[in-house]
Amino acid sequence: MASPDHHERPERDDLTGRYTTGHEWDGIKELSTPIPGWWVGVFLVSIAVALLYMYLYPSFATTERYYEGALGYSSAEELVKDVTAARAAQAGMRNALVAAPIESIEADDALRRFATAGGQAAFNENCAACHGVGAGGQAGQFPALVDDDWIWGGQITDIRQTILYGIRSDHPDTRQSMMPGFGEILPPDQIDQAAAYVKTLADPAQAGSRAAMPGAAVFAQNCAACHGETGGGGRDFGAPRLDDAIWLYGGSTDAIRRQIAHPRMGVMPAFGERLDEATVRMIAVYVHTLGGGEK
Amino acid sequence: MTATSDHGVSPGIAGTHAPKAAAARRRNRRRHLPQPVRGHFRRLKTRLILGFLAIFFLVPFLRWDRGPGLPDQAVLFDLPGRRLFVFGLEFWPQDLPIAVGLMVAGAFGLFYATSLSGRVWCGFACPQTVWTDIFGGIGRLAHRLARGHQARVRPITLALSAIVAVATGIGFTAWFVDAPSLAGRLLSGDLPGAAYGTILVIAGFTYVLGAHAQERVCLHMCPWPRFQSALLDRDSLVVTYRAARGEPRARKRVALRPDLLATPAAAATAPMAQVTAFAVAADGRVGLAPDAVAGRGDCVDCGRCVQVCPTGIDIRDGLQMGCIGCGLCIDACDEVMTRIDRPTGLIRFDAEQADPAPMAPPARIGLFQPKAMVFGAAMVAALLAVTIGVTRMTAVQIDVEPQSTPRYVLLSDGSVRNDYVVRLSHRLPRLDAVTASVDGMPAAELRFAAGDGADAALMMVSGQRSAANRLLITRPPLRGQPAHAGELHEQPAHAGELHEQPAHAGELHEQPAHAGGPRPVTLVFNDTETGAELARVDTRFWEPEP
Repeated sequence: MASPDHHERPERDDLTGRYTTGHEWDGIKELSTPIPGWWVGVFLVSIAVALLYMYLYPSFATTERYYEGALGYSSAEELVKDVTAARAAQAGMRNALVAAPIESIEADDALRRFATAGGQAAFNENCAACHGVGAGGQAGQFPALVDDDWIWGGQITDIRQTILYGIRSDHPDTRQSMMPGFGEILPPDQIDQAAAYVKTLADPAQAGSRAAMPGAAVFAQNCAACHGETGGGGRDFGAPRLDDAIWLYGGSTDAIRRQIAHPRMGVMPAFGERLDEATVRMIAVYVHTLGGGEK
Repeated sequence: MTATSDHGVSPGIAGTHAPKAAAARRRNRRRHLPQPVRGHFRRLKTRLILGFLAIFFLVPFLRWDRGPGLPDQAVLFDLPGRRLFVFGLEFWPQDLPIAVGLMVAGAFGLFYATSLSGRVWCGFACPQTVWTDIFGGIGRLAHRLARGHQARVRPITLALSAIVAVATGIGFTAWFVDAPSLAGRLLSGDLPGAAYGTILVIAGFTYVLGAHAQERVCLHMCPWPRFQSALLDRDSLVVTYRAARGEPRARKRVALRPDLLATPAAAATAPMAQVTAFAVAADGRVGLAPDAVAGRGDCVDCGRCVQVCPTGIDIRDGLQMGCIGCGLCIDACDEVMTRIDRPTGLIRFDAEQADPAPMAPPARIGLFQPKAMVFGAAMVAALLAVTIGVTRMTAVQIDVEPQSTPRYVLLSDGSVRNDYVVRLSHRLPRLDAVTASVDGMPAAELRFAAGDGADAALMMVSGQRSAANRLLITRPPLRGQPAHAGELHEQPAHAGELHEQPAHAGELHEQPAHAGGPRPVTLVFNDTETGAELARVDTRFWEPEP
């Protein structure tokens, strides 16, 4: 057991000429090799820099609040600044978007690209919750906006109006339509007949035999006023087409029967109350260019 | 061990080491520039260096006509455009594997050369050597220009070095911008900041590494010498001091070893008059046989081989890490041997296992050693892979990305539409528009969503190297189930037949019994102008469950 004597002069290693620490393990002595001065210097400077950072920037929390730093830096404020700057950079395009007649936006290459890019972002933020990312809709719930079937019209002006005022919203200019619940008006067998008849409307192969169906009379009496003699629908008052392949609330006879007896009618908020005109136009252009827009 | 051992004393002795370290640094520093030398290897090295410099500075000025809208520089690394032009080839970032293949080939080439002949790459071809050689020349030139005024040497050296360094930076930059207009744009401040930054950085590194660090890079910074011992073997042809002939060293007036004189070749060149009566005792330097040291060897210990060495080593200590295989010591020694009328080749390229006899001819280069052949074969394989890769590079790349939100769109007449994003990039001299068609769905209707080609299966490229567009593919209703009589599709009459004779279904429609979900289709893209097929892309067309 080596017991170093503190009062003796440190031992020098013959081979290297260095001092030893005085420790000895199994006959091996440790050379005294202090950390290089430059390393210690860098370490101390690092600590100083860290302390400086803590002084300058928000660095630690107390139970009630937090230390705000000598510079008063705030990442939230920086974000607001960035967003404001980005808005300012876009101001020219946004103004041009609002100034142009909405029908002409798509013809302008730069405006269209700006509008579809911004429209996609705004759509995903505001519309995708119901209509889905990519505007594919949700079967039996919310209409797809990528197809060519439009309840209220598929021109860009129609789309803009729908976005602005919503459908059955609380806005005075909202699109408003109401289908009566025929469950309380017609006897069940007539509802069955009407449903069977409506089911055939989309199939041209049954065009000849359709007139002889018992539902034909029920349809003519109760439904044709809004949905049209042949089920072509009426966009002016928001009556959906019944003679195409697209069914919002399901295309089976059973689903049609349910819709006749206890109709579901979707509601969309008036986004004009939340979004500015430029954003509404961007969304309108985006939806219009998705593949179903009408000229 | 017990706690007592933790009470060790750590004496403050840092100061005692400082003078020792400084002494070591002084020892490592070389006192003189390498001296000039004349000879075979010096000529070879000079020619190679001039050749490499010519390549470095002149290649950017070569022209290559690529047609309108494209640079006409034969070799141009267009960083903003993310593409490399190398004569008739154009490389994109996705061709990176080819660059990797070149690097692999280069690495194995280096292994091959090293296993054959040591650090010859270092001695003749490495940029560090090329520029170190230039700066060495500058040092000697400055001494000559200063004409003995010591105070003038430093400023002259500095000025010449700065010129070379900046010229190197500009020469490097010329590979990345239009070379002929570079000088003018440089002076008018017309270049992007990155160009000036590059010039400064390259000039700085050239000066620091070439003029200041010089051979220290080869000795202390370069990892290559550390590999060398694993690559060399006893057959490798390396710069060798032939101790059996040279030792023991002594001044010329000491008598030669009798065995050297006895050699027929030596007898012819060494007159007996040189042999003096003063035979010296052996100093036993290299451990020669006692009977061989009754006299001196051929080495007269003039030190020329050390003075001319770019890395400042003494080759007579044997093969060592610092030897870059440039052969300048061979030139120096041959010069001296000729002057003292001894055969040349005391230092020469030779194999370690060569004939030890003092006057034996040098070994031949062992081209067919297994190890070297493996490296050579790997290099050839890598070059082959690069060649194959280059020949298989496609001029047009089209990616089709099916959109999955939603996967398909059901239209009011019962037809089904799928949306795709088409991304095209090409390296053709000219491509204006692309027509798309679909293979596997005869009745499908295609249109691009945006651009001049709206409502048509036509995508405008018009001079751009890349373009993107949305492609809408609509498949008509399968069973003649459209809504309005007026818009019936061509084959509604077949609907009944389909149900009755499913065996014929294939003739009428591609897959009438398709169960929904994805089905494979192939999109074909043609050049609208020439009709040439540009690409076929396999993708899927998603259909609803029936």
